[in-house]
Amino acid sequence: MENLIKELQIKIIDALDLVDVTPDDIAADEPLIGGKLGIDSIDVLELVMMVEKDYGVLIDNQELGTKVFASLGALAGFINENRVEKTR
Amino acid sequence: MKYPQVYITGMGIISPLGIGCAATLSAITRDDKKISPLSLFPVLHGTPLPVGQIGEPISRDARLPRTHQLALIAAREALSGHNRPPDAIVIGSTTGGMPDTEKGLMAGIDDPDAYRFHATGSVGDHLAIILGCRGPVLTVSTACSSGTATFKIALELLRSGRATRVLAGGVDALCRLTYYGFNALQLIDPTGPRPFDRHRHGMAVAEAAAMLLLESSQTVPENAVAELLGAGLSCDAYHPTAPHPRGDGALAAMSAALTDAGISMSRIRDPIDYIHLHGTGTVDNDAAESVAIDRLFSHRIPAVSSIKGSTGHSLAAAGAVGAVVSALSIRHGLVPANTGLVEPDTRLPLCPVETPVHQPVRRALVNSLGFGGNNAAAVLGQIGSGNPVKTAHFPRALSILAHACRTGAGNTDATAECFRRGQSMAGQLSSAALSAGLPPATLRRLKRMPRMVLSLCETIRRKAAPASPQSVFLGTGWGALTETHRFLTQLFESDQRFASPIDFSGSVHNAPAGQAAIFFKATGPNLTLTGGDYSFEQALFTASLLARDGDPPCIVIGADEFHPDYSPLFDRSCRLARVPADGGGAFCLQDGKLPGQPSLHSLFYARTEENGENPEIISRLAAALDGRHSLSDKYSAILYGIPKCYDSLGNMQLKQFFSAINRQVPGIPYRSFTGEFATASAVATSLAVTLVQDQVVPSALTGTGSVDLGGRGILILGLGASVSAILVSP
Repeated sequence: MENLIKELQIKIIDALDLVDVTPDDIAADEPLIGGKLGIDSIDVLELVMMVEKDYGVLIDNQELGTKVFASLGALAGFINENRVEKTR
Repeated sequence: MKYPQVYITGMGIISPLGIGCAATLSAITRDDKKISPLSLFPVLHGTPLPVGQIGEPISRDARLPRTHQLALIAAREALSGHNRPPDAIVIGSTTGGMPDTEKGLMAGIDDPDAYRFHATGSVGDHLAIILGCRGPVLTVSTACSSGTATFKIALELLRSGRATRVLAGGVDALCRLTYYGFNALQLIDPTGPRPFDRHRHGMAVAEAAAMLLLESSQTVPENAVAELLGAGLSCDAYHPTAPHPRGDGALAAMSAALTDAGISMSRIRDPIDYIHLHGTGTVDNDAAESVAIDRLFSHRIPAVSSIKGSTGHSLAAAGAVGAVVSALSIRHGLVPANTGLVEPDTRLPLCPVETPVHQPVRRALVNSLGFGGNNAAAVLGQIGSGNPVKTAHFPRALSILAHACRTGAGNTDATAECFRRGQSMAGQLSSAALSAGLPPATLRRLKRMPRMVLSLCETIRRKAAPASPQSVFLGTGWGALTETHRFLTQLFESDQRFASPIDFSGSVHNAPAGQAAIFFKATGPNLTLTGGDYSFEQALFTASLLARDGDPPCIVIGADEFHPDYSPLFDRSCRLARVPADGGGAFCLQDGKLPGQPSLHSLFYARTEENGENPEIISRLAAALDGRHSLSDKYSAILYGIPKCYDSLGNMQLKQFFSAINRQVPGIPYRSFTGEFATASAVATSLAVTLVQDQVVPSALTGTGSVDLGGRGILILGLGASVSAILVSP
């Protein structure tokens, strides 16, 4: 779980070109959207695509999205529960 | 002098409802629902989403993209019974030749000929060739408000007397870009659109073309269907894709349209009988539009409906479809149903008509609200319902409050210095240089083209202060190519599995103009003109048409980026160039000549005939300069631009021009300095302003010694497929 959070911090910065953000700035328990990171609704949809692409996890409606993207911790938890292991 | 009235004397439509006005009227009378799963192209994963697709076979010329074919079908119907071509064509389109471009790119075709109809501007150009139009051909690519926005431009063309018959409307065909793009934004309702329903969940992407033939006349023409009374434009200046939650922009556009139509809400009770809603079926759009209507009509809301539950959302065509349907409503006393509505959303302050209602419609309001917060509204009325109160408007010189440019040589001063020395500035300014002075948070999602635009805006903001533009006119030949390339590449490489919402919202042609509006908080008109090599000329021409005495300043921008894969495929002149080049120019302008300020005057803009060899257009240009404006002694030098792909045609036109004006004036070919890109003329215009302020054209440019301008200005000539003239005066 901790590794997944670390991995997601980097992937989020990369997917959203958060040039002035370091991985540690994205705290696991703080709101992901609308906070100091400046992440908005289009960014969330970009992360939806990243999560599907990299983890095979689908977040296809707004209600689910609101829950999953509440925080980085919530996102990691959701991916952990639903991910499809590609190689084993 | 009063405005002449503007009459709709012809209408053409092809949409999921059917081909032609008669089929459309039958379909709305029956309340047909024409939403079905996409079958036009294969969907590689999952179930095809519901779309508004034209069922009838339409292919007449397989070499033409579907968009061009749809446009031609609607145009022919609008012109049926008329034996003269229109004086001008104004077409809204967001996708242009994209349906074919996608096929070419997927198949890995690198023959540029396969992409010759890629440009959105090629739709109008093709119509002009087929229909024989030799006047201005303008292309509006302002997302989903494009179709309605063309009516505002057409009205001003007619009111100013620059045209008496204008073909205006919009077209978009279904393609992968919009199908997957809107889905990536989670704006599609998988069960089909249900505008204003409590459980609405999004839109359906659709295709259509709709056109109006508009004629100005002091008397009612024989075949008049209805009147176009007014139109208005606005911008939310709020967010790239989300509407303003209180509908501020929608309200401003509707108010502007009513004012333009001479309708005073306080003086006329129930001025509007029917509002043809934008109503796409997305949660936010329908809510914002409802609130705006409630605010404007103060709880006395007329009959309202959106037909997008029946047709889907045909993007740039939507407003034009709305105008044709509203004209049919007026003509036949029919309010169409808000198809798809099952359970009205009681949280919204309006309740659309659920089944078709036969009742008189004297005046109708058509709404279009688009990406980038671009809004447009138009008022149509029964013959005789107009209220001609205003005086006529003739476009005049616009004073330059500030100007800026970017080229491979750098910023405005570096570019001008390079030019004075007679050196080429062709190249590409680094992304870091384009981003200088702009806040990193603003730039995060922006690639090359919007950065260039914001970089120009930043200079304008500094130089024009305290003045700040309130409206935006942006010309771009090709739009944000980096974003378009990223979107399509990822889509195709993932076998159409992954579509980036950020790249999609950045790829729309009007995204940079939307950024400019947010930058300046410019809530006035916001138009993106995409006329290939003449995009900047079109933007300036349109800005002059819309500018009014006492209006706040506007910004007119021309910008294009070089993209290593797409530019050589799409831009024939770029392909012939030795050096990759891009850049742009921007001008903060105010209507009228202010003392001590230089000015820009868009004097002439028209298309040549198909083979272009007829010198008639140059005679018309010379006559326009010499006659009406008597400007032949107002300039002492000429900067002319011939896109490389029109080399021989342009040089022939140049010769004809010099022999027509019968004067010795130094001519400088600006593209030899700027390099080949669609909006090189915007850079040339900024350079001309600098030289006019210097009052000297250095010998490095003339080759025969420096020229003292003697208090006069510089004429900027655009040659080739279209011919334009802009006068820069001191």
